[in-house]
Parts: sequence; structure tokens; C-alpha cells
Amino acid sequence: MHKVTSTSSLGPGGLDLTQSFFKPIQNTAPPSPTKRHTKISVIGVGNVGMAIAQTILTQDLADELALVDAVKDKLRGEMLDLQHAAAFLPRTQILSSTDYSVTAGSDLCIVTAGARQNPGESRLNLLQRNVGLFKKIIPPLAQLSPDAILLIVSNPVDVLTYVAWKLSGFPSNRVIGSGTNLDSSRFRFLIADHLDVNAQDVQAYIVGEHGDSSVALWSSISVGGVPILSFLEKQQISCEKETLERIHKEVVGSAYEVISLKGYTSWAIGYSVANLAFSILRNQRKIHPVTVMANGFHGIEAAGGGGEGGEVFLSLPALLGRGGALAVTNVHMTEEEAQRLRDSAKTLLELQRQLELGGLR
Amino acid sequence: MHKVPSASSLGPGGLDLTQSFFTPIQNTAPPSSTKGHTKISVIGVGNVGMAIAQTILTQDLADELALVDAVKDKLRGEMLDLQHAAAFLPRTKILSSIDYSVTARSDLCIVTAGARQNPGESRLNLLQRNVGLFKKIIPPLAQLSPDAILLIVSNPVDVLTYVAWKLSGFPSNRVIGSGTNLDSSRFRFLIADHIDVNAQDVQAYIVGEHGDSSVALWSSISVGGVPVVSYLEKQQIPCEKETLERIHKEVVGSAYEVIRLKGYTSWAIGYSAANLAFSILRNQRKIHPVTVLANGFYGIGPGAGGGEVFLSLPALLGRGGALAVTNVHMTEEEAQRLRDSAKTLLELQRQLEI
Repeated sequence: MHKVTSTSSLGPGGLDLTQSFFKPIQNTAPPSPTKRHTKISVIGVGNVGMAIAQTILTQDLADELALVDAVKDKLRGEMLDLQHAAAFLPRTQILSSTDYSVTAGSDLCIVTAGARQNPGESRLNLLQRNVGLFKKIIPPLAQLSPDAILLIVSNPVDVLTYVAWKLSGFPSNRVIGSGTNLDSSRFRFLIADHLDVNAQDVQAYIVGEHGDSSVALWSSISVGGVPILSFLEKQQISCEKETLERIHKEVVGSAYEVISLKGYTSWAIGYSVANLAFSILRNQRKIHPVTVMANGFHGIEAAGGGGEGGEVFLSLPALLGRGGALAVTNVHMTEEEAQRLRDSAKTLLELQRQLELGGLR
Repeated sequence: MHKVPSASSLGPGGLDLTQSFFTPIQNTAPPSSTKGHTKISVIGVGNVGMAIAQTILTQDLADELALVDAVKDKLRGEMLDLQHAAAFLPRTKILSSIDYSVTARSDLCIVTAGARQNPGESRLNLLQRNVGLFKKIIPPLAQLSPDAILLIVSNPVDVLTYVAWKLSGFPSNRVIGSGTNLDSSRFRFLIADHIDVNAQDVQAYIVGEHGDSSVALWSSISVGGVPVVSYLEKQQIPCEKETLERIHKEVVGSAYEVIRLKGYTSWAIGYSAANLAFSILRNQRKIHPVTVLANGFYGIGPGAGGGEVFLSLPALLGRGGALAVTNVHMTEEEAQRLRDSAKTLLELQRQLEI
């Protein structure tokens, strides 16, 4: 029986029971290469990274989980804390190291590393702090797991997904950002709570920038399959523009509110990312609003048209599966919504242009 | 259709769609009272309380989850953070308040409130700080949920479970402490990791005090049903006493090590408490080493004048709480160490004013 190297530190005098307890079955073939062994790496063991890691573990999404961070003690402490729950969980190998070699052969790499958003700080202000960090993180990740899907969570997620794409050299369908998946979840919660219905029966997308210029797609909200806006028009219920804007503002403000109350957000983004991990690794072909390369969709200029490097990443409703982002849905947008989306793209593109001066290669 | 008051703050101009969207079914009878509606309250939204709350939520153990703490902003922030995950989870009502009225009619109350154990601080040193806190927490909890099971997690858990029992007036089977459930899990992990087998195939109990004087029941360890110690004897493999002690010390030291490295423990105790919650609320009749009233078991004497003591024993847990203590085999030495553990705890209790 091939014994995986034990992490046990029982020392030379420790009980060596393996060979006593078990009689090996002779001539066992190694597992066939088509056998699924799913490995997920989480970069950054702060509140967000650990909420993601713990949710992934609880939902049994991986056979192997690798944690990476720069702070040795904190990293080891978090790894041990998860390992100590072994008796309560399905058997998942949990590893950690400050060295990226521990991430080799990952199917999915989730990057949460980065400075925490301060109360009142907009996501865009974090950018400069995080680009330098990504230059150290993304290249080794990509090199050690050349077939992986990269899932970027660090903020500002849209520009950092673009940065990760550039630094990794991966095809764009394999570099995704958590984007507005969580904003949309909060949006669906507010609507569902108001209607006293299960949030999963509410279809509602927020797209564009994960941040202040996000776009609520009012025309595509439906409850139990019934489109809200056209329903309200048919029933002749007036629906003031200001009311809709207020609901959207509440969503945008949600994250800032949680940060001002408890200092950071963690649980909701943990569930959001685990949800994306499941859709990807189990090839669910489910539609999620996530950060993808947006050029060529919904009237956002195709790259190369009228300027160098006009690629932009922002959230669109995308079909996710084992290959990453497989398609973008042709969700209906009003002309106003499409314009706001293009404005969102412009905002992000301008930010990216400032980064080009620093050079990413 | 009876509309539950919405937590939504959309205001008077907000979309009022409910009556438009749905045509009520007339004359619906209210849900029968025997329908299970499980409510869990978690007192204390620190790292431990939130790890427990989040695991309970992920594992879908309750219909309603109430959070209580003294710090308003932190409490509201944690509640919102959980609520925002609604689209990813089964529908669980999540409430919070600094007022205990929010815990009314709980089936299970999990108490994690208390000072954090400092690096190097033994669990027993926390005691005095936490007894005063329990005098504010336990009486309203017990009054508002007179049929609940109380699950104490705050440290030092054994004495605080005793304190909670006294303050609540509950029968002892309904006041349980998380005890050595986690120690035993760490113990099973170490053994399983060494043998390279699934931790769930390792039966191993640490009992007694959740702390420095805990007792590893070596004679009861089995792997895949094979008792370790007698097996080793049969195979004539020497197993030095010191080796066994070192493994046990590693378990006792585990918590201190995690605290030293990351400042506190959270994930493992979260899973441990959720595991206990499941066994209790779903009447699993599973055996867990948890803090229970120990008098009358394993020679732990009733003692003169209020000599009740709580410590961890392998107990059968179900919907009624702790239903029985298993007659696990102990060597005379192990039983003696257990009684010593009981003495240590009893002496501490005597110093307390309750």
C-alpha cells in the first residue's frame, strides 16, 4: 500500500502502526488517470480567503486544498485549524506553504490576496496597492498549474482580473473574476425579502463594474419566471425611476455598510465564490454574472478597435463550466442599460490605461 | 396570504409587489404545530460564534438562526454578511439583537460568549472573567426558551457548563458542554494521519477536563474496529508509555499552538459544535465525548454538600439532550486520572460565587 507522506510529527519514537494494521493487497494498479482528483488553491488566508476555504471544505468541493500566504505563522495556524476538523468532514488533504510549489497541479486557483478595503475607501483606490502584489502571485501560479482556471476575488476585481489575465498568459476564458455574483445575490435577497419569496426564485442581474458604476438590469428581473417590469406595466402599477435607483444604491452600499459595521465582509463572498467553484469544477453550465473579458459583447468595442490594448474585463452573465467561461448570455438590455454598461467599461478602461504606464510585462 | 413582516427597508415608496404578484390561496390552514421549525440561537458573534453560525447555516441545520452579542455594530454586520448569502443557501431566517427576546423559543442555545483565551493562558484562568458574564446570559436564555438544550462552548467549558446548569434551573441532561469533542477529533486526526486512514474510521476518546488534565482513553482506541492497544500487545510490538503520553500532549497542545499562530481557534470548534447540534436536533443517538454531569459514573462520587461536577464522558446525544453515558472500558489508571480530573474541577467550583 503506497503511504502518502504523513504530516504527523510524532517523531522517531512515534507509533508506526501502518505496516502492522494493514496487510496490503498485492499488485494493485494505481488509480486510472481519468479518476477525478480535484485540487483547489486559495491565495491569501485573510477573512475572505478563509471563509472561501472553509465553505469549500464544508461543501466538499475538492480532494485537495492548498493555502498560500506570506505570513508563515498565520498560514500554519489556519491550516491546522482546518485539519483539526478532520473527524467531522470528508477526507480532504489540506496543505499550506509560503512557497507556490504547494499549488502545483491545481484545477482552480482562487486569489484573494490584497489589501483590505478601508471604511469609505472605494474599490478603485485599492488598485495600485494590489497590482504590485499580483506581479509576485500570478506568474508562479500560472506556471505551476498551466491548465488551471484562475478566479480572482481581490478588489478592485475587474481591473485585477485584467491584470491577472495579462500576467498569466492564459486564454481569457480561463481567467474569471468573482465580479457582481455577490452584488446580484444581495440584489436578489432584497427583492426576495420584500416579496417574501425564496431568493432562488428571483432572477436578477447586476452587471458591469463590481462597484459604484455597476448596472442593475431592471428589464431582466423575473420572479418565478414572471418579468417584473413588463408585469408592472401590464398591471398599470406605477414604478418610479427613483425607487428603482434607491434599491440599486442599497445594493451598492451593502458592502460598505457591512465593512463599517464589522470591519470587512467574509461570509457572503465565501458562499459566492464556493458557488462559482462548484459551477466550474462540476461543469454545471450555470449562468453567473462574473468578470469576464467583455469586448465584443453588448456593444462593448472589440479589442484593438481604435486604440492599443482596449481589452476590458467586467461582469456579464456568463455560462460557466469545466472549461471556465464558455459563453455570455444575450440577456435583454434597454438602450439605457447598455449605455451604462459601456460607460462602466470606459471607466475601467481609463484606469487600466494608467496601469499600462507602469508596464505589466 | 399571511405576509411575514419584511426586513426590507425600501420605505413607503418601495415596490409593493407582493399583493400584485401572488394570488393567495383562500382558507389555508396555518402549519400544524407538530411541523418541525428548528431554531438555534448563538450567543456571542466572535470568531468561534460566527464559525459555528456559518457552519450551521451551510449544513442547513436550522430554519431560524438568532445571533446575540453586546456590541451592536459588529452584531448587525455579521447578520447582514450572512443574510447576503441568501441566494446561495436554503432559506433560513437570520435575526440578531442585543436583546435576548430574539432568542425566544429556541430549540438549541449555543453560548460562546466570553473572553478570548490569551496565548499561554490556561483555560482555568479565564474562569472568573466568564462567570460574571454568564449571570447576565443564562437566566434570560433559560426563561425565554424553557424547553431548549443549552450547549456551552465558552472556556473553561466544564466549570461554565456547571455554572450554566445552576443558573438555568434546567435538568442536567439539557445542559451540555462542547467538552472534549474537539480534543477527541484532533486525537483521531493524529492517529488517522499516522496510519493514513480516514479519521472517521478511528474511534478514540479523550475525556475528563477539556484542558490540561484531560484523559486519553488508550484502552478504547480502535481502528476499523480493531482495538489498538491490545492489538499491539498481541503482535508483541512494544509501545512505550512515553510515546503515548507524547501523542496526548500534542493534542492538549494543539489548541495552544493554533492560538499562538493565528491568535485564536475557530474553524475546528465550528465544525465540532455543528456536529453536536446535528446529533441533538436530528436525534441521531450518536456517542460524543461532551461535558455532562459526571456524578455517579466511573466512580466519580456524589460528594458531600453540592459536589456536582461536569466533565466530558462519552455520552449518547439525541433530541432530549444527553440521554446516557456509555460504559466504555477504562483501565484502573485511566479511571483514577478521571477522578483526579474531577477533583481539580470541583476545587475550582468551590471558589466560585454563583
